[in-house]
Amino acid sequence: MSEQDGAERVSMAVDEDRCIGIGQCELLEPDVFHLGDEDAISRVAGGADLSRSRALELVDRCPSGAISIVELGS
Amino acid sequence: MAETTKGPASPADIASPAIYLDGIPHEGFAAIREVDGLVWHPYGDEGDRSGFWAVTRHADVREVSKNPDTFSSAIGHTNLWDLEADALEARRSLIDSDAPDHTRLRRLVSRAFTPRTTRTWEGMARDIAAELVEDYVADGGGDWVEKVAAPLPIRVILAILGVPTEDANYMVELTNYLVEGTGEGSSLPDDAYGNSTPTRLLPFNSPASHALYEYAEKMRQLRMAEPGDDLVTSLLEAEADGERLTAAEYRNFFQLLVFAGNETTRTAMIHGAMAFAEHPDQWARLQADPARVAPGVDEVIRWASPILHMRRTASRDVELAGTWIAKGDKVVMWYAGANRDPGAFDYPDRFDVGREDNPHYAFGGGGPHFCLGAFLARMEVQVLLEEMLARNVVLAPGSEPERLASNFVHGVSSVELAVA
Repeated sequence: MSEQDGAERVSMAVDEDRCIGIGQCELLEPDVFHLGDEDAISRVAGGADLSRSRALELVDRCPSGAISIVELGS
Repeated sequence: MAETTKGPASPADIASPAIYLDGIPHEGFAAIREVDGLVWHPYGDEGDRSGFWAVTRHADVREVSKNPDTFSSAIGHTNLWDLEADALEARRSLIDSDAPDHTRLRRLVSRAFTPRTTRTWEGMARDIAAELVEDYVADGGGDWVEKVAAPLPIRVILAILGVPTEDANYMVELTNYLVEGTGEGSSLPDDAYGNSTPTRLLPFNSPASHALYEYAEKMRQLRMAEPGDDLVTSLLEAEADGERLTAAEYRNFFQLLVFAGNETTRTAMIHGAMAFAEHPDQWARLQADPARVAPGVDEVIRWASPILHMRRTASRDVELAGTWIAKGDKVVMWYAGANRDPGAFDYPDRFDVGREDNPHYAFGGGGPHFCLGAFLARMEVQVLLEEMLARNVVLAPGSEPERLASNFVHGVSSVELAVA
């Protein structure tokens, strides 16, 4: 893990089997998460990233536990 | 501290509906929060034996809410009293379900309540708010509940559902009877509205639920014959994983929407208006800085805590806050306690629209049963405040509120306010 935690950027993933379309993620980070118009399942915008601390907050705030951080191989 | 059959006895009564005639017993909640571990609270016919674990700290409410496999919504009931299996099944809705049923149901209805969908209703809600506020000012104030807080959310949810405006008063009447069911019981005879179903099989044990079911069915037939651009149509057409709502699911969901989309937002608007009347300095902050309105909305909702609690039932033996809970025990999340927890909020007893971080649990404790209408409720409260600000409306205290004897809804049936 980076020693400069706040500066590190990470990608996010949504488990579509767990997502139930509550929309907290889109409310908090509308540039990163989009709920589908047809199915209300959250999807991550291509290439989007967040600081690790913000990403952890998003993971925590997801009511259905569907969001995770994608760890990039070092 | 006294020992009960389960654990330390609660130092305060937070379950007797009559207590709430004087408002939320905040001192009682504070006393319970300060006890190490959880306290056991008596309830119902069997007193101590039919009691519950009172979960009142913010972090503990979160723990229960976010672990739905352990703290089930489908066992027993989500209200304090248990239901027999047939009653539970007949009433089952989104609220009383666990995964995978809950997942399936929630997905069917979620798309109707996303942030983006909610924004498409904003103009409609704003027009209704503006009309009600202008009439209220023209009247020089009066009963805020009757004139603004009750009609606004019901007119909005009915417009969303596609129910004709002229039926709004009938819907308000029915939901008022439902709230009674959480207190001292229904004042209606069992056969009111032509009901012949045993009331124990009806939501809130109320024949008013039968009337709402009938109304839902009438709407279903109308929209099956002639689809509209409304929520009833989209519910009937909603499909997830190749499945649709069953007739009973649709009916229970309609009933839930009319109740939850109306009573809870009304309650937030009542306590918000009372708070701004009592704390004019906070209203002045919104007047000075419109950017404060959005965070102010969440403070109104924390302050109001419209739903006081939800119950779960332990599906296994489990430790929470250092207390052992046995499989089958009732575990009750008291949002009213969590929202005043000094462990989560600075000066929790202060109404402060300037809070930067407001992790309130008025929409639930952060788990999968998170309020479906959260964005809608926020939007409605926000347009109401904005329409008042646009007209320089300043509220001042009038009469003491007439509160409901309910441990479930932080309800007020009337309160006179003045226009300063």
